[in-house]
Amino acid sequence: MCGTGRSKPVEALKTALEGSPLKTRDERCKSANWIVVHRAMMAIRDIDGMFNSLDTEYYDILMKYLYRGLSTGDRPTCDQCLKIHEKLTERAGLGCILRSLADTVNTV
Amino acid sequence: ANTLRLYLTCIRNTLEAAMCLQNFPCQEVERHNKPEVELKTSSELLLNPVLICRNEAEKCLVETSINSIRISLKVKQADELENILAKKFLRFLSMRAEAFQVLRRKPVQGYDISFLITNYHCEDMHKHKLIDFIVQFMEDIDKEISELKLSVNTRGRLVATEFLKQFI
Repeated sequence: MCGTGRSKPVEALKTALEGSPLKTRDERCKSANWIVVHRAMMAIRDIDGMFNSLDTEYYDILMKYLYRGLSTGDRPTCDQCLKIHEKLTERAGLGCILRSLADTVNTV
Repeated sequence: ANTLRLYLTCIRNTLEAAMCLQNFPCQEVERHNKPEVELKTSSELLLNPVLICRNEAEKCLVETSINSIRISLKVKQADELENILAKKFLRFLSMRAEAFQVLRRKPVQGYDISFLITNYHCEDMHKHKLIDFIVQFMEDIDKEISELKLSVNTRGRLVATEFLKQFI
């Protein structure tokens, strides 16, 4: 996926989220997609701008990836994930968080 | 300081969403009512556990089930002294878990302190007040340990000065 991070981080994030392997149980597949989403997320500087151009159907998947990022413990990742988490909760509400907690079938 | 605010906001939002508890009698044994998050016998009663890290040292694990939620914290410990102070202070609190009601007597493996909130607690107490308590606890722990460290260093300095005066 060349040109993922350089010019349009929001487009890159959208593409990465679209390709997320929710139905499989293969850990390598999920890890590979997580790496791409992670790169796209870290490249984003303007979080409000990102939400303005991101469709609501991606909010749930993004929340799941945010929790995956928060579990890594790596300081810059956690900083970025915490910032996005706050804004995403404001927009999507607590239901988004609960769906990411309750969904044991489709995990990232 | 900004990351602390974001970290606490994230934990608060996660707890508000996760604290949806209802009474659920034990499925295996009749007339028993156990907190499912502690036993983890039936997977359909458990939600995904969520780990929220602020950095390499501080993290918070939130495990939810149908009738109980377990919150485990690892507090920041910069050096050996803070390590000992945190361990002693949190052990002091954990031993008096009866008084706190929502505290767990032993922290989960790998963490410093754990809370166990059941549906009975949610029925007796306001949900938002429980969450306020936990978030306030996290803020106060850092302050307490800094104060303890300061007082230990001050006492140490005074004692050493007095003791070494006899050699002047």
